[in-house]
Amino acid sequence: MNKVLSRRSFLRNSSEVFHKSCIVLTTPMILSACKEASKDYSDSPNFKILSVNEGKEYAAIASRIIPSDESPGANEAGVVFFMDNVLSDGRELEHNILKEGLKNLQAMGVENFGASGFYSLNTDQQDQLLEEIEGAEFFETMRYLTIAGMLSLPEYQGNRDNIGFKMLGYENRHAWASPYGYYDTGYPLLGDK
Amino acid sequence: MDTGVKYSNDTQVDFVIVGSGAAGGVIAKELSTAGFSVVVLEQGPYLKASDFKHDEWGYKHNGDLVWGKRKGHPQTFRKSINEKATEREVCFGYAHNVGGSSVHFSGNFWRFRPIDFNEASVLGPISGTTFADWPITYEDLEPYYTKVDWEVGVSGLQGSWDPPRSRDYPCKPMPAKSAGVLLERAGKALGYNPYPAPVAILSEPHNGRPGCIHCGFCNGFGCEVDAKSSSMSSMIPLALSSGNCELRTFCTVSRINLDKADNADEVVYWDRAGVEHSQKARAVVVCANGAETPRLMLLSESSRFPDGLANSSGMVGKNLMFNGWSSAEGIFDHPVNGFKSIPTTRVIHDFYSIDSSFGFYGGGGIDSRHPSDGLPMRSALDSGRFGGPRWGSEYKRLVREEFTHTAAFHGHSTSLPLASNTVTLDDTLKDRWGRSALCCTYKDHPDDIATAKFFQDRSVELLEAAGAKKINRTPVVEQESNVHLLGTCRMGDDPENSVVDRYNRSHDVSNLFMCDGSSLVTSGRGQPTMTIMALAFRTADHIIQASKRNEI
Repeated sequence: MNKVLSRRSFLRNSSEVFHKSCIVLTTPMILSACKEASKDYSDSPNFKILSVNEGKEYAAIASRIIPSDESPGANEAGVVFFMDNVLSDGRELEHNILKEGLKNLQAMGVENFGASGFYSLNTDQQDQLLEEIEGAEFFETMRYLTIAGMLSLPEYQGNRDNIGFKMLGYENRHAWASPYGYYDTGYPLLGDK
Repeated sequence: MDTGVKYSNDTQVDFVIVGSGAAGGVIAKELSTAGFSVVVLEQGPYLKASDFKHDEWGYKHNGDLVWGKRKGHPQTFRKSINEKATEREVCFGYAHNVGGSSVHFSGNFWRFRPIDFNEASVLGPISGTTFADWPITYEDLEPYYTKVDWEVGVSGLQGSWDPPRSRDYPCKPMPAKSAGVLLERAGKALGYNPYPAPVAILSEPHNGRPGCIHCGFCNGFGCEVDAKSSSMSSMIPLALSSGNCELRTFCTVSRINLDKADNADEVVYWDRAGVEHSQKARAVVVCANGAETPRLMLLSESSRFPDGLANSSGMVGKNLMFNGWSSAEGIFDHPVNGFKSIPTTRVIHDFYSIDSSFGFYGGGGIDSRHPSDGLPMRSALDSGRFGGPRWGSEYKRLVREEFTHTAAFHGHSTSLPLASNTVTLDDTLKDRWGRSALCCTYKDHPDDIATAKFFQDRSVELLEAAGAKKINRTPVVEQESNVHLLGTCRMGDDPENSVVDRYNRSHDVSNLFMCDGSSLVTSGRGQPTMTIMALAFRTADHIIQASKRNEI
């Protein structure tokens, strides 16, 4: 491993960043009953540590970070189960910070849209709230866990059917052979003449 | 699992070696095959090729190899002694397993060059630093570099670009990757001399080990086929089959005790269950790495050595060097696919010593890589370098291009030794064994930052010449963590300002040796492991000769 290990610490120690960056929306919004998160893995989950409600909320957030559009996203990859798995692995402190962050996000939902469940908002409303908290600890942690859940080995409970790897154009092969890419095709050992 | 012969703790063995990494593995093999009884104490498990997986979450994020705070091994960091050190997950990054960091390193394997050993006298002293010549020259070390090439296994192409070498590489160079081709073509266009990167990864079968299968998981991972030339793959099996070496895993050393004549007498350690043992030895060789070796010396204080064992010079833990680093990344029209095969295949060393007219000291090399080590997760986490959203549907499309169509040209460069950059024992924080946690105090010298920026400028010019569509510079910042842990028990002829002599023997304790990154007097140009292994062969050679003369 060269240089810095992972440039991102799992979580910062303080949730202050969240509070600082959390700009409360003032424009009144009309609550939409539209519920996109129909294919919800958290309806009858068997979580290790997450509550059913947390599961629904984190799954809904992950679904906006990696949406299901013309290709599958975080929902189909089962990212929330990855989150449950790693948060249950000696990360109580981090889990508590996330719970606090979720409370704040839900409060923003009440204030702006009159609904406390993030999952019950429509996707425009969800995105609006997430844009407000981008860069804050809670959002960055959710983004981190969502991406990690997309691209870890399926044995960690996310990346079902290698959905994340397919998104990236990556194939988890045991071996590759030259040529690897466009530019090395036919390239001689000592370079071009 | 085969861990060799068994020795009783009460029986004095010839040598206890603390640590089984790049240096410890080499010395264990050399001493045991020469007929000496050897006990190797390693604090991690004995993982082998069949244990390793393409597990980015486990190795890169969960600390499976590189322990940190979550595993009960917190560390602290500060930029100067005037600051309060704050707790970090990991600051000194090293693998805790048989083979140490030689298991999970990139395999980039540059020899040092003659100038690395006598640069201080060529350039003159640099004010405010402890910049010094080595007590040995490149010529002294060359036979041992060649030993590493052949016994450990190195792939490369002999040419005018090499420092003087007495024998060709044992294995042909690895096939060029697209990022290497982009660097080589651009380098030639700008008048430089790019060449195939020497790597400690076998391109073809050698010494009974297979060639690389180009899976792409080198940097931060253990090789799944034993093609990477770690000491675990190349040296430890030979040590164990000698019939003279016992490997004790999950053994964490707490201190080295002296006898009445002030010679190292026994090594005290905890086993996996936390039970304390001690092993008697005729001599002790500490190869625990540039952070753990000084820590062990400091923990082994006594009335004879109140400031730490073998520390009459006061230099134990000082002069920490990380190596400088910079990166510029480009996005290209066609697939680069840096996630396949080894980290780097081409290097440019035309700026090994930056001309003094630039007004700062430094030098290094540039190699070609994937911007996120070719790793799927890290690539997606890092995505957005070239603009665009960091989440949502548009991000999903961009992340694919950034994973497959990018190359990074990295600068690897010098760090000046400073007495103020240190490894010390934290005042309050303890690890899971109750030992004082490692405290890092580090601030790059301004010349190191200037050098890193110089290399980033060259990388940007090379990316432009290579035809990159968009280019990003990763900001050059003062470093707060690293895996290169160098200089903290430096080698020298003068016992007043060095910890070990030219043969890696303690100036203070005649049957105590230290050999690892801590021995280095200067930082080299960013790839220290080859030199650490060569020093280990040289140290072992000296120990064997001195033993025969009854000088140990």
